[in-house]
Amino acid sequence: MSNLTFNPVMQSPLHHFNLKTKQQHVDGSKGVWANEMPLLGYISLRGNAQNALFTKAAKKALGFALPILPCSLISTSWGCIYLLSPDEWLLVCDRELRTELQQKLEAALVGIHSQVIDNSGGFTTVFVQGKNASDVLHHCTVYDLNALTIGKVVGTTFGKTSVFLHQHNNGYKVIFRRSFADYIWRYLERSALPYDFGIANLGSS
Amino acid sequence: MSSRVIHKHSRVDFSKPLSFTFDGKIYQGFAGDTLASALLANGVKTIARSFKYGRPRGIVGAWAEEPNALVQVDVGARTTPDLKATQVELYDGLVAARTSGWPSLAFDLKSLGGRFSRFMPAGFYYKTFKWPNKFWPIYENIIRRAAGYGKSPIEPDTETYDHKHHHVDVLVVGGGANGLLSALLAARSGLKVLLVDDQSELGGYLLSMPNVTIGNLYARDWVAKIITELSNSPNVTLLERTTAFALHDMNMIQAVELVQDHLPHHERKPEQRRERMHRIRAKQVILATGAFERPLVFGNNDLPGIMTVSALTTYFNRYGVSCGKNAIILTSNDLAYQGVADLAEGGMNITLIDTRANINPLWAARFAKLGVTIYPGYGIDQALGSNAVTGAKLVKLDSIKMSASINCDIIASSGGLSPTVHLFCHDGGRPQWKDNVLAFVVSATGRANAGIYCVGAVTGVFGLQESLSATCETITEMLAALNKKVESDDLSFNTDEINCSPAHAIFRIPTTAKAFVDFQNDVAVTDVELAVRENYRSIEHIKRYTALGFGTDQGKLSNVNGFAIAAEMLGKTIPEVGTTTYRPAYTPVSFGALAGAHVGDTFEPRRYTAIQAAHNSRNASYETVGQWMRPWYFPKPVEDIHAAVNRECLAARNNVGILDASTLGKIDIRGKDVREFLNRIYTNAWNQLAPGKCRYGLMLNEAGMVMDDGVTACISDTHFLMTTTTGGAAGVMSWLEKWHQTEWPELEVYMTSVTDHWTTAALVGPKSREVLAKLCSDIDLSKDAFKFMDWRDGTVAGVPARVFRISFSGELAYEINVDASYGHYVWEELLKAGAEFGITPYGTETMHVLRAEKGFIIVGQETDGSVTPFDLDMAWAVSMKKPYSFIGKRSLARSDTARTDRKQLVGLLTDDPNFVLKEGAQLINSDNITPPVPMLGHVTSSYYSAFLGRSIAMGFVIDGIKRRSDEGNNIVYAWADGKAVKVKIASSVFFDAEGARHDV
Amino acid sequence: MFVINCPHCNEPREEEEFHYEGEAFIARPAEPETQTDAEWGDYLFMKKNPKGWHWEMWGHSAGCRKLFVVKRNTANHAIDGAWTLTEARAAYDAEMAKI
Ligand SMILES: [Zn+2]
Repeated sequence: MSNLTFNPVMQSPLHHFNLKTKQQHVDGSKGVWANEMPLLGYISLRGNAQNALFTKAAKKALGFALPILPCSLISTSWGCIYLLSPDEWLLVCDRELRTELQQKLEAALVGIHSQVIDNSGGFTTVFVQGKNASDVLHHCTVYDLNALTIGKVVGTTFGKTSVFLHQHNNGYKVIFRRSFADYIWRYLERSALPYDFGIANLGSS
Repeated sequence: MSSRVIHKHSRVDFSKPLSFTFDGKIYQGFAGDTLASALLANGVKTIARSFKYGRPRGIVGAWAEEPNALVQVDVGARTTPDLKATQVELYDGLVAARTSGWPSLAFDLKSLGGRFSRFMPAGFYYKTFKWPNKFWPIYENIIRRAAGYGKSPIEPDTETYDHKHHHVDVLVVGGGANGLLSALLAARSGLKVLLVDDQSELGGYLLSMPNVTIGNLYARDWVAKIITELSNSPNVTLLERTTAFALHDMNMIQAVELVQDHLPHHERKPEQRRERMHRIRAKQVILATGAFERPLVFGNNDLPGIMTVSALTTYFNRYGVSCGKNAIILTSNDLAYQGVADLAEGGMNITLIDTRANINPLWAARFAKLGVTIYPGYGIDQALGSNAVTGAKLVKLDSIKMSASINCDIIASSGGLSPTVHLFCHDGGRPQWKDNVLAFVVSATGRANAGIYCVGAVTGVFGLQESLSATCETITEMLAALNKKVESDDLSFNTDEINCSPAHAIFRIPTTAKAFVDFQNDVAVTDVELAVRENYRSIEHIKRYTALGFGTDQGKLSNVNGFAIAAEMLGKTIPEVGTTTYRPAYTPVSFGALAGAHVGDTFEPRRYTAIQAAHNSRNASYETVGQWMRPWYFPKPVEDIHAAVNRECLAARNNVGILDASTLGKIDIRGKDVREFLNRIYTNAWNQLAPGKCRYGLMLNEAGMVMDDGVTACISDTHFLMTTTTGGAAGVMSWLEKWHQTEWPELEVYMTSVTDHWTTAALVGPKSREVLAKLCSDIDLSKDAFKFMDWRDGTVAGVPARVFRISFSGELAYEINVDASYGHYVWEELLKAGAEFGITPYGTETMHVLRAEKGFIIVGQETDGSVTPFDLDMAWAVSMKKPYSFIGKRSLARSDTARTDRKQLVGLLTDDPNFVLKEGAQLINSDNITPPVPMLGHVTSSYYSAFLGRSIAMGFVIDGIKRRSDEGNNIVYAWADGKAVKVKIASSVFFDAEGARHDV
Repeated sequence: MFVINCPHCNEPREEEEFHYEGEAFIARPAEPETQTDAEWGDYLFMKKNPKGWHWEMWGHSAGCRKLFVVKRNTANHAIDGAWTLTEARAAYDAEMAKI
């Protein structure tokens, strides 16, 4: 039985739209550009922000202090930390860094009431940019994007479901659960139609 | 085209002729026309037949107040019924038709009824068609057909719609003089301003008043100057053709924009919307919604050729259309005078009938110069003419003495202005009657604390100069509250208006002829009289009895006259009678605009698993479970659902099947108190479950009723993984959080949803171990090493996996969980590995049959929120000994839940093994179905079991558990489709009660 | 279509982001087994349902998923405040003490 050899293949939640084959160099020709940032690493972290043991241990493992202000995020050398709730964070990094990050956290948090979960299969991210990016998102979400300053992340609605949103490179990142990916992408495409919608090549994110 | 007046003020572009079709005839109009102005220019007078009596009707208004001119615009997929011709912008190639007057406009069958109209008073339908009950559908059909409103499109709309959310400092509703001024002042202070106006051009009534000057500028130049400044302000957005139709709590305004319905078909872009709904959250709302002129009520006032003075003036000044040569103007106020002067200057012969005995001398002098004949203190008893107005019979009001008749081809009347108070009142505000202006008005700053300000005619200030000054004051106050200063030094509000003398409080002129209050609903003065005579006292009741103010115009012209006439008959004042309630929508809104982008594949979120593409490639039929799209069955060519399900069931029982179970909710729960937490949430006990083991759990709500179930695994003493039903996942997650956050914050647990992270493939059947063994070398799969209700970590097809040996079918089975990124890959590997065993993918239907054969319940199918674990015969899943009184426990002992003769879940078997009972069939005690028949319960699940070679069913029966083992009393009848079928109550476990099949 | 200030996210958000969780401060009886059917029935089913000010729980479902307490006027949808579950009880008790 030890002679089993496999070549596992990963698919991102928006795999079936073949975005890679449709992507274009970003220029001024379209009002809105978007694409999926596929197969990132996502780690859910729960803990008590008032517990210094917890925050210190997390800082030691992550190299950065957890953001604790409402709706805040920080960028780190390895990715991003989003505060989703007073006792809940989402860490987003390259997929290759995920296991190490998770193990470091788990090791640092032994004996401290907390929860560390690999949720990488369960999320994806789409970036939206271009001169009409906020117009398009105002068709999709009830949140006032003028209030979405740099360094802020909000959980809000998107069509009839919900997402996390923050500013990113003169545009926005939209983070959401895998099973809603098809709906969210179609809703985004439909909403962007009047502004002319392009699939951006990934380098432009 | 003889009635066109080409003058410099007209907003119509006479260099751009357009052709359009109305009722099959081709006409010509010009860019800038509405359908109504173009029809009037072409001499089309009769445009509708009335609702109840089939009387000919013409255009009365010039905008949203129009009650008669309802038209069907466009054909096929784009057709829209009941648009007001007064609001339809003309474009080249427009096709429109009447909506009323079946079978033809010129001859309406109901006009025969008109002769007998004394037999059709208010309440006629209620009284006449009430009995017998069963004939109502027939009556309704005929009445609706005769009523002759337009036709809904029957083809799918080819155009698209959407919604847009706005968050602004200031929303100005209305782009007339006062709305523009408000927007300008707000914009100058740096606030983010949005102005919406429902017309194609900003300016409001100033577009109909070209000869008025404001600060030495002609009205149109004043408008143009403000628009230029607003357009150049980056903090201002102007939305034309956008009707604010609702004002909700905390200044949420809904507005619908007609994006390209005014364009000829070839200019409409497929990527642009037809309509867009704007949802505007505004810190301050400025209502500059203006007013509509209401007509006076007199005899035969519904004849085509009778309109309001403001409409007649608007058609003349704005659209360059002269609606007649010899006009009779009937007025009770000075507000109509400027229009009269413009018309007379433009060459119309005018007879002015003023209900007041004294005419303002400044105006009298001006009218004398213009050759206007004046009858002071007179009214119109009735209009003359049969299909169009040809004259009027005058009456001297102080003596009620009939006077001579005068010939004319148009009559226009003015009873004063009715402010457009609708939005102010949508969220509970009420208008106040003001005697000095004879109108229900709203207060400029009365709701300033809610951020609602009102300016212009809506506040009852009707003079232009006076209203502009008042607007400036109101906006200054608004800005002061925001610590901002108004910049208005460069603005002059001086106009050349002649001051108004008081208006006459008159709403109708008594007459023996038929006098209509509400044209659209054919409500006459006599109908209001009748309602009062029949003792209706509340105006809301009078409205409903007579239909006053209903319909697509919502009584914009008729309401105040109706209230006043009711007040007169009730012997009350108008404010004592009050108004009816103003509700959204202000004007009709299309379903398309309401739906927005929530159509087609984005109608509702459709959730897919990572294996979706694999299911598509195997021809899955889908069913929705919650928001999930789950494979229902996988038909091979020529198979129907029954054949496919039979094949899938036999494969799982005899060889191996595979099910996508990824949709089950999965919640990761961690902390030192996790066992206690589960003890409280579930009915059963969790203290003894060892790491590596799983257990089935039943969740109750606090009323003791089953709300969810699933298998929960112990990962470690402080770490459990809960699974929930597919449809219940989000609800259970909130449920756990709710109890933790509100009642048990001291319990150290965190829970996080991992539903989306895992792909779950259930490998089911006697060959499942052999299949898994081909892909998994690091888990000992042998019977004793990996027991039923155990889980193990390992790799499957080279991917880290968590494998549960659990079974929802009674077969040997493994649920394989992998990171969803690998889900599709692992699924295909499992199918490849299983090919030699005939592995068969199956869907939810086969899953249902397999579990029913074993008597396993499905929450939501066997349960409906009124079912306890004992009703389900699942006492084994309830631990009454746990120290903490788990959720729902106390309720199980309530007198009603504790009864032993409740409806209980049992198996049901028909005599005929091929007869499949209908789910939902009522269970009764005998085959006598003559009512009344006592209902004992119903069938919850029913299938044909290919494996057992017979039909099986489950259902609830009163006292079913006792009757199941009572040979003499175990027969009931299932009643469906008019037939009662004999059924034997049996065990719901239809085979392998000892569980031998999974214990291998 | 009102706006609620989520005390955890610390900013006003549209109603669509929230779900209603019923009347606030209905504590679960500490000893359910000693309750009479009538007492237990009151706990389960009897709600104040006032016309006017009402203390109620809302959950920020599209945002932070926390439950919190809102004082809302059921007659006109005015909102007088929103508190976290830990702060709310004190605010409620202070107001009850005034009555
Ligand atoms: Zn929140």
